Amino acid sequence: MKDIFRLFTEYLGQYFKSRLAYRANFLSELVSNLVFEVINLVFILVVFQHVSTMKDWTRDEIIFIYGFFLVPYAVFSMFFSFWDFNEKYIIRGEMDRILTRPINNLAQVCLESIAPDRIFGVITGLIIMGYAAFQLKLTFAWYDVLLFILLVISSSLIYAGVYTGIAAVSFFSDSRTGIAPMIWNIQNYGRYPVDVYNKVIRILLTWILPFAFVGVYPAAYFLRKEVYYGYAMLTPVMGIVFFCIGLLVWKLGVRKYSGAGS
Amino acid sequence: MIEIKGLEKEFRIHQARPGLAGAFRDLFNREYKTVKAVDDISFQVEAGEIFALIGENGAGKSTTIKMMTGILTPSGGEMKINGFVPYKQREEYVKSIGVVFGQRSQLWWDLSPLESFRLLKSVYKVEGKEGDAWLDRLVEELEINSFVSQPVRKLSLGQRMRCEVAASLIHRPQLLFLDEPTVGLDVLVKQKIREFLRNLNETEKMTVLLTTHDVSDIEALCKRVLVMDKGKLIFDGLLADLREKWGNGTEVVFQFKAKTTVEQVRAVLGDMPCELSRENEYSIRIKIQRSQEMLPYVLSTVMSSFDVSDVKMVETNTEDIVRNIYSTKDEVVAHG
Repeated sequence: MKDIFRLFTEYLGQYFKSRLAYRANFLSELVSNLVFEVINLVFILVVFQHVSTMKDWTRDEIIFIYGFFLVPYAVFSMFFSFWDFNEKYIIRGEMDRILTRPINNLAQVCLESIAPDRIFGVITGLIIMGYAAFQLKLTFAWYDVLLFILLVISSSLIYAGVYTGIAAVSFFSDSRTGIAPMIWNIQNYGRYPVDVYNKVIRILLTWILPFAFVGVYPAAYFLRKEVYYGYAMLTPVMGIVFFCIGLLVWKLGVRKYSGAGS
Repeated sequence: MIEIKGLEKEFRIHQARPGLAGAFRDLFNREYKTVKAVDDISFQVEAGEIFALIGENGAGKSTTIKMMTGILTPSGGEMKINGFVPYKQREEYVKSIGVVFGQRSQLWWDLSPLESFRLLKSVYKVEGKEGDAWLDRLVEELEINSFVSQPVRKLSLGQRMRCEVAASLIHRPQLLFLDEPTVGLDVLVKQKIREFLRNLNETEKMTVLLTTHDVSDIEALCKRVLVMDKGKLIFDGLLADLREKWGNGTEVVFQFKAKTTVEQVRAVLGDMPCELSRENEYSIRIKIQRSQEMLPYVLSTVMSSFDVSDVKMVETNTEDIVRNIYSTKDEVVAHG
């Protein structure tokens, strides 16, 4: 674990070095990232101008949930952005190289595709939350900051677990699968209050693909919705459980790969 | 150092049925065919050997290498390398080996090789002065100093390949795997890499396993050769023995001053086991099966009996031998 952290800083340094090598590109990407996030922000505000309430959630509360969702999503996608896993590691066989290095193989894959520029998502999320909190006149205690960090990490772990599991499917099936896009569609639903959905979807978003735990439930704590406190506190447990499931599927996948090769 | 006993690898290959109806049936009931990619191979290697694994495409070389590097789990047999069982203790084991896959890069495309080396150093936890000195030596001996700070994407294949070799040796492994290391390289670069490997083997007692299609690699580097075919090990022994076994022997072409017939020469040589053939009126080609003892005798006999104006010796090269092996596959050879 200590090694992985040390390597993380090394890779981060190299990432910036290689990005800075293309000076113009780096700057333009920096700007376009910022512009993208600002447009995102404006878009959300515009959309919600037309929605006043959803069930018993006010517009600003929904904006707050969206802002919260952006933070763990950004953290997650900073570390888990091997979207081309199937292509790069399985089809082109880079997995072989990964397996001949003495570091945990999932950690290596993560580090190799690390995307620190996603950090902008965190900033956007915080701005949106700040805006919503100001409108709602929310107050926070000092320990809320710690809880926020804990909840964000837990939510990121849920994403990481689900994502790792999906990526590991590549080990079992040699053709592209349609599962991933479907699941990424479902994750959008986690941004909205779950009680607007019917029961089946609510159960799905809570227990099966627990995307409600990356949006509504933890955000509800800060919105002081006491009905959801139980769920909010369950977030770390769900994070750990789903991350472990993801790791397990990954591990089985690697074993399958070692058994059959590509 | 390397002990391999009865190593096997089976693959289950999905047999697709033809046609749309077949594809539909495949949905519910798949047919599999079991293919033995590696079939009961055994060999041992001492520390400090350079040896080559050759064979046609699909002979099982890659599968064998992948098992030896811990990437694939064997379906049967025993394997112990550097005191580890590769597929079981992979993360520990890979610290003691270096791997160069000729077709794949281990360098970071956008970084300079030097930065890649730095990263690899932290991957392998190479620290301190000793590691730096070792890297300096690699850089110097591979003569990559002049371009080691340029981004990899700007290097030529030959430059990159030398950097790849350096990258695989950062952690000073005891055993180096080179899978097709010289594909597409020009003669000069090939030579540089070979010289470097030979030197490394001599000074560091590093064991080197080479798979290659390029016979000149083997001739330049290896004493020992393993030949695989259809998953089986069909030859394991010295390059010299391989030559003797499958080689065409040596051919000597005599140019005579006077017209000479095959019969005349045959008469002189008696019933020596050699093949004579006429090149032209003045020239005769003699094919000798086992070169060592026969050659001097044939030479001296012919030279003393006729007026010879010129002698040309044609040694079969390994390339021909390999071609011979591939075309006479049925022969079974005892392990050397």
